[in-house]
Amino acid sequence: MTSPQNEILLTIVMHEDVHLATVKLRDGWGNAYQKKAAVVRLSRSDIEKLRLKDGVRVEISTAAGSVVLVARADSAGEAGVGLMPSSLYANRLAGYDPGALVLPRKHIEARAVPTEKCITPISDLMVRRNRA
Amino acid sequence: MSSKTLVCTGCGCLCDDVQVEIDSGRLGQIENACAKGAAYLQTAFNPERRARSTVRGQPCSTESAIDEAARLLSKAKRRLIFGLDNSTLEAQALAIDLARKLGAVIDDASSFSFGPIVERILKKDLPTCSLSEVKDKADLLLYWGANPTATHPRHLSKYTYYGYSDFNPAGWYPRVTLSSIDVRQTELTAMSQPAFKIKPHGDHELISGLLGESPAASDQARQLSELVKTSEFCAIFCGLGLVHSLGGDFSGFSQMVQMLSQSIRVAVIPLIAETSMLGFSKLLRKETSYVNQVSFAGSVSHGREFSFAEQVHNRTPECILIVGSDPFSALPQSLLSRLQEVDIVCLDHFSTLTTKAADIVIPTAAPGVESSGSVVRLDGDSIALAEPIKNGYPAQEDILRQLLEKVQP
Repeated sequence: MTSPQNEILLTIVMHEDVHLATVKLRDGWGNAYQKKAAVVRLSRSDIEKLRLKDGVRVEISTAAGSVVLVARADSAGEAGVGLMPSSLYANRLAGYDPGALVLPRKHIEARAVPTEKCITPISDLMVRRNRA
Repeated sequence: MSSKTLVCTGCGCLCDDVQVEIDSGRLGQIENACAKGAAYLQTAFNPERRARSTVRGQPCSTESAIDEAARLLSKAKRRLIFGLDNSTLEAQALAIDLARKLGAVIDDASSFSFGPIVERILKKDLPTCSLSEVKDKADLLLYWGANPTATHPRHLSKYTYYGYSDFNPAGWYPRVTLSSIDVRQTELTAMSQPAFKIKPHGDHELISGLLGESPAASDQARQLSELVKTSEFCAIFCGLGLVHSLGGDFSGFSQMVQMLSQSIRVAVIPLIAETSMLGFSKLLRKETSYVNQVSFAGSVSHGREFSFAEQVHNRTPECILIVGSDPFSALPQSLLSRLQEVDIVCLDHFSTLTTKAADIVIPTAAPGVESSGSVVRLDGDSIALAEPIKNGYPAQEDILRQLLEKVQP
């Protein structure tokens, strides 16, 4: 059971990752994609607040959804900011505001807690269409 | 074995010096391409990663898929055409003709990314220039919310910072000042002197400081102002970081550019990742006066309600034609989940999440590799793609022309 003290508030900032882009092109949405996409980079102070170690899993939740991914310590990271590559994982966390002129990619309010759950499988992040 | 020089359509740089060797239809050595360009070329020659003709998941001939696509587009009362940012001008023009014939809505990814800045550039509200002019004349390169090392890997080496052939005996030296504004540390900020690290959504505050609107302008705003004013020609490369931080409202940014332009020359270039987003915006504007979000139902109308995102959110279209774009891997899943009741027709060269989700998939030639034509680079220069390598796939233009002939409004 996760203690509420271990929860932190984050602003998720999505960014482009050339390695993820090339993996997606070459191999599609397989294990290599998941390995590069299911990552959030946090400041060392946030890693400590979460009582995490580098490489341990964390669950990130927003009003739009939640994902489990790997937390990495970023020595240049800003406290309260979680950096995520643009991917299906980040897209799960992004909602849609009909009034906004742009999609939320740089300022997604989220909560993070340590977890022992498995990394969210890619198949759970694909939008399924139940077409006859 | 044959050797060929291509214009790489792997990103918005459109590098024209990429050499490939082809041996019996197989890709051999690639020279001059970056990681993204090489991956694009390798994917084009990998049959496992190519789109295949399907109707509701069942393999079929391309002709059957086109017929079914024409039937669905004709049957629907409300149609939406989306994508086209990685298409040639010829394909973009045909798609606009198709939208006009069908009375459809047409939109592209600029409506949730670079649209506001592209519109200001095309209206000449923001000054711009070509990349060759940047290389020849600019003495300050300012990357704002942009990291070309991730999005346009050869941008710095081919067009800007490293793009000079002269050197001194001691080795390479920078001829221009490289600076950047970003919320995080990147390969680019590490090279920048200086790099301005701001908080998420801190761009507006920085612009206000530069405009003197904030009585207590930050040290960063003062330092940036001095840096720009001591240059003669500042090229500002705007990335998605800036677009999203400003929420698409570039009025303050335009004021800032106008103010700086009183003392130095400033040129603004959007760092667009797609190969011809600017081409689509220019064509649509020429036809309708608008760069995106256009409806041809009745007369030409324009508005936010015609953006792809709003159309999907409101569950408006009955049939969507997506051309060379993969919204299913790029947009929020909460939005895409509203596409359950819509017929989706997808034209693409690669297998994507959108081709997986589509009711009808029509495979096409990869622009720049298997089909030629013209595109408009991110600086507005028109680029002719090289003669194609014939791999048997029809060009997007061929498919769109057939659809144009077959659909009944």
